[in-house]
Amino acid sequence: MSQSGAKVSPQVSEEFQNLKRSNDKNRVLRYIIFKLSDDYSQIEVEHADADSDWENFREKLLNATSKSKTGAVGKGPRYAVYDFGFKFDGRDINKIILIAWSPDDAGVHPKMIYAASKEALKRSLEGFAYEIQANDSDDLEHSSILNAVLAKMNA
Amino acid sequence: MAQQPLPTSAQPTDIYGGDEVSALVLDPGYCNTRAGFAGEDVPKSILPSFYGHVTSDPPRDLFGDECIIPRSDFEVRNYMNKDSVVEDWDVAAKMWEFMLVKRLQPERQTPPSKNKLNDDVKEQDGEGDVAMEEVEAMEKALEEYPLLMTEAPWNSPKAREKAIELSMESWGTPAFWLSRTPVLSSFAAGKATALVIDVGGANTSVTAIHDGMVLKRSIQRSPAGGLWLSSQIRNMWETSEPKVDLIPTFMVENKTPVDALAPAQARLREFPYKIHDSYRAFEEERLLTEFKESVVEVWRGPGRYGAAGNEEYIKSQPGRVFEMPDGYNQMWREQRFKVAEGMWDENAGYPVPESERLTKAQTIPELIRSALNAIDVDLRGNLLANVVVTGSTSLINGFNDRLNNELTAMYPGLKIKIHAAGLSSERRFGAWIGGSILASLGTFHQMWISKKEYEENGVGIVEKRCK
Ligand SMILES: Nc1ncnc2c1ncn2[C@@H]1O[C@H](COP(=O)(O)OP(=O)(O)O)[C@@H](O)[C@H]1O
Ligand SMILES: [Mg+2]
Repeated sequence: MSQSGAKVSPQVSEEFQNLKRSNDKNRVLRYIIFKLSDDYSQIEVEHADADSDWENFREKLLNATSKSKTGAVGKGPRYAVYDFGFKFDGRDINKIILIAWSPDDAGVHPKMIYAASKEALKRSLEGFAYEIQANDSDDLEHSSILNAVLAKMNA
Repeated sequence: MAQQPLPTSAQPTDIYGGDEVSALVLDPGYCNTRAGFAGEDVPKSILPSFYGHVTSDPPRDLFGDECIIPRSDFEVRNYMNKDSVVEDWDVAAKMWEFMLVKRLQPERQTPPSKNKLNDDVKEQDGEGDVAMEEVEAMEKALEEYPLLMTEAPWNSPKAREKAIELSMESWGTPAFWLSRTPVLSSFAAGKATALVIDVGGANTSVTAIHDGMVLKRSIQRSPAGGLWLSSQIRNMWETSEPKVDLIPTFMVENKTPVDALAPAQARLREFPYKIHDSYRAFEEERLLTEFKESVVEVWRGPGRYGAAGNEEYIKSQPGRVFEMPDGYNQMWREQRFKVAEGMWDENAGYPVPESERLTKAQTIPELIRSALNAIDVDLRGNLLANVVVTGSTSLINGFNDRLNNELTAMYPGLKIKIHAAGLSSERRFGAWIGGSILASLGTFHQMWISKKEYEENGVGIVEKRCK
C-alpha cells in the first residue's frame, strides 16, 4: 500500500505484462499511461498504446488534467511506463522506464496525492529498469529522458 | 472530493463513525503551531508556540495571541525546545487542546472549570478520583475526530509515543497518524523523491526523501534559521550609526513623525509592574519578522556578497525604508544584504556572541553538502534536480536565486532545480497543507492507526506503522 492508501487496479499489471512481452518484432505495447481514478482511490490504466512516436506520448502527458477538490480542471500528474529504445555502445537496447509526471503548475491537491500514491504502483510493476521524475515540459523532451537513462546506465 | 464522506459501507466502523466528521491536522513548530480541519486549504488556527505564564499565585498558563499582552507577573514561554521537539508535554497538551477544541470548534469546548484542569493528568492518571474525572472530561474532547500530527524527522521515539498516547488516552481520538514534515512538503511539491530544505524558526534542516521515505543518514540541521537571522538584525541595529533602538510596538504610547536618521520623538508607555524580558523578546520578534518581510534580502549571487565590487554595486541601488514603532526611520541598503549573508558564509554577516556563531558546517550550503555526502552517490543527481524549499524564512527575497547559484557552483555539470511554492501560504504551511490533503482522502482510512489497534498494541504501534 502507498502512503495515501490508494489501491491499484488489476488491469495495471495485466497491461504491464503486455508491455514486457513486447519487443521490436512483436510490438504489443510501447507505453502505458496510468491515472488515479476521479475519486483518487485507485490507479488505473488510461492509455495503452503500441505507437512509438515519442511526441504523441509526450503530448498525452502534457495535456493530462486532474480535478481539484472544488472540481476545477487543471493540469494533471500521471504515471507512465515506456519501453525506451536507444543506442548504447553501438548496440540497440530497450529499457522499460517508469515516469512519474507531476507538472509544477498542477494544483497542490493532485500533486500531493500522486506523489503519496506512487509506491503502490511501483509495487505492481515488477521489472522496469529505471525511474524518472519529471516536473516540466523540458523534462519530457526525448533528449532529457535519453540523458537521464544514459546517466543511470553509466552510474 | 476531499470533504465528501465515503459511503458508510466503505468505512471500517472501528476507525471512525462514518458521519461527516473531518479529521484534524496539527503541525507544531518552534515558532508557530498550526491546526485545522483536513481538506481545508490553510490551517484555521495559527498561533505562536509561545504562551503566557502567570507566575503569581496560583500560577497558570494562558494560550492564544490575544493573551500575550503586557501584564504583571507574566512570562512568555515555549513548549518546544530549539530542536523543535516538545519539551513540556503538559503544556503542549493544553496548548494543542486549546487549538483543536476551543479554536477549531468553539461550540463544543469543555466547560472552563474542566479544561484548565488538565495540567497534571499524565502524572496523576489512575491515581485517585479527581484525576480520573479530569481524564474523562477530556476524553470527550476529540472523540469523533481522527488526528494527523506532523513531526520533525529527528523526533525521538519517546516523543512519538507520547503523541499517540496523548491523542488516544487523553482526547479519545478514534484514529491517529504521524507524518514527517519533509515528507509532506516533498509530496505537496509533487515529488516522492526530493531534497527538502526547511528554513524555519529555530532551525534550518536538510532532509533527503527517497520514494516517500526519509533517508535518516541525510538529516542535517543547524540554527541557521529565522531566530538566528533575528539575532543578526539585532546586532546590526545595535552597531548601526546612529544606533537603532529596538522598541517594540506595545511600548509606544504615541509618536511624532521625524526625518530619516533623526532621533525618535515618542512617548513610551509606563507600566506599574516589571515587563519580563521574555515578553519583551517575544514582541521584539514580531517587529523583527516585519523587518525581514519588508527589508532583508539575500544577495542572489553568483558568488558571495563579500566578493569585490558587490557592495559598491548595492550601495548604488535603491534601498528600503523602514520605520520603527517609535517613528525612527532610515534607508537600509548594503546592510539589508549583509545581515542574511551569514547563513551562506560563516565569515560574513554581523559579529554575534561566540555561542551564536555559525560554524562553516552550519551554513546552508554545507548542510546540503553533508546531507548529500551521507547517502548513496547515485541518488545525488536525482535529489539536486528536485530540491524543495519550504519554511517561512525561505520567503526572504532572493533566497531561491542564491540557493540555486550556490548549488550550481558546488555541483558543476549536474542539473539543479529548485521547487519553491509560489504561494506564500504554501511555503509557510507546506507540511500542514500536505497533511490536510492526506487526512482528507477517503483511501486514507486504511492508514490511520485505529483506537482498536492502539489498544491491542500500545504506544509502540506508532514506530511500527508511521515509518
Ligand atoms: N515573510 C517572511 N520573510 C522572512 N522571514 C519570515 C517571514 N515570515 C516569517 N518569517 C520568520 O520565519 C520564522 C518562522 O518560520 P516557520 O517556518 O513558521 O517556523 P517553525 O515551523 O519552526 O515554527 C520566524 O523566525 C519569522 O521571523
Ligand atoms: Mg516548520
